[in-house]
Amino acid sequence: MLDNFNRFVIPNLGLFMDGLTITVRICAIAFAMAVVMGAIACLIRLYVPVLRYFAIAYIEFSRATPIIVQLLWVNYVWPELFGFPKSVEWAGIIALAIQSSGYLAETFRSGIEGLARGQVEAGLAVGMTRAVAFRRIVAPQAVLVMAPSIINQFAVVVKASTLVSIIAIPDLMYDALKVVNQWFEPIEVLTSVAVLYILTIFALSATAKRVADHFRGKYGLDAQA
Amino acid sequence: MFSETLRQSLDLSIFWEYRQTLLVGLLQNVYIFFASAALAMALAVVVGLARLSKRFWVRGLSTFYVELFRNTPEFVLLIWVYYVLPILLSRLLATQFNLSPFLAAVLGLGVAYSGFMSETVRAGIQAIPKGHREAGTALGMRDGAILRRIVLPQALRRMLPEMLSQLVSLFKATSIVSLIAVPDIMYQVSMVNVEQMRPLPLYTGAALLFCLVIISATQMIQILSERWRRRGWA
Repeated sequence: MLDNFNRFVIPNLGLFMDGLTITVRICAIAFAMAVVMGAIACLIRLYVPVLRYFAIAYIEFSRATPIIVQLLWVNYVWPELFGFPKSVEWAGIIALAIQSSGYLAETFRSGIEGLARGQVEAGLAVGMTRAVAFRRIVAPQAVLVMAPSIINQFAVVVKASTLVSIIAIPDLMYDALKVVNQWFEPIEVLTSVAVLYILTIFALSATAKRVADHFRGKYGLDAQA
Repeated sequence: MFSETLRQSLDLSIFWEYRQTLLVGLLQNVYIFFASAALAMALAVVVGLARLSKRFWVRGLSTFYVELFRNTPEFVLLIWVYYVLPILLSRLLATQFNLSPFLAAVLGLGVAYSGFMSETVRAGIQAIPKGHREAGTALGMRDGAILRRIVLPQALRRMLPEMLSQLVSLFKATSIVSLIAVPDIMYQVSMVNVEQMRPLPLYTGAALLFCLVIISATQMIQILSERWRRRGWA
């Protein structure tokens, strides 16, 4: 087994690192987009009555569709329908972003709705505009409460990103499967790659837990279910 | 131009044309969902209880189990179970051991989701006040009877919303079994696409189909479970 490890894993470490770089890049861009899209969807749902049902439809669609379906949909249908994305990598990023933005929008909403109404009213009473009250009172507190679920969502993005290999993006999983199909010695390669993913994702969710405990202790927030 | 492609994407007549193949595919998803959900929940109850054990090594082992499977991507686990597990078992048992794609899918998804669900079970059990258990002991009930008659009926009701969202994720995850050649709905959609070369309606329709199934199923379960849940709070 060690023999195979030396033959199939060690010589391909460079390849796997390239794959990991692509995985990290895709996840980072997709997550950043998801936060922005989720925030927009959430704000529209809460504060723009005319477009409210569009936001709800978007959120429900993105949450009720599996990531693999969204990947194939964005990859095959979007270029004809909207003229973009031009590369598979962007297709993967957009699909991951759509999936996560729905969950993040709901996280943001519960964070905002969880705040006592009286706080905004107090802001208005001392002469703040609604926008200022939102920026100075609602947003900072909501971000604190939501921080752990937001970081957890990043771990979910990394997990889902393993699927972008199916539209031929050369991420870590793609490289692993390539080596496996070349030599048909799956044990060492797949186990090593699995361990690499597990450690990465474990580090992320452990961070989320520490952040949660930190804020809970510092601001006396209630335990999040 | 745009409206023409949009019309093509939403022209779902191809789904009616291939309804039999696609329905057989969707049934595969449903079978895998129920089998892996049963496996996941059975494991989750065992592991969830083990996390609350008095013995530290039982707690340690079950914590390791939970962290391991919560942090493994489903796809990686599925591929690992399908490719690596049979070889390992063959060597270990010194016989030829084969795992069908269907069984690998059930095993992979079941184990993956048991990690999340055991946390739900643990939280649900922990939420029941200690006094309820002590009251049972005071009445002379045995530990098993207390768990079955007092703790679980209340805990299950508390777990339901969280469990439901795990089940939705599990159903969504059944779509990846096509990647280990289980002839599920996405596999059939790809096959029809190879035959017809019409990705626009096929992939749009697949997305809408999942929406329809998941949203209607969750709504139905919520409506049906409403009375059962309320009875628990009396």
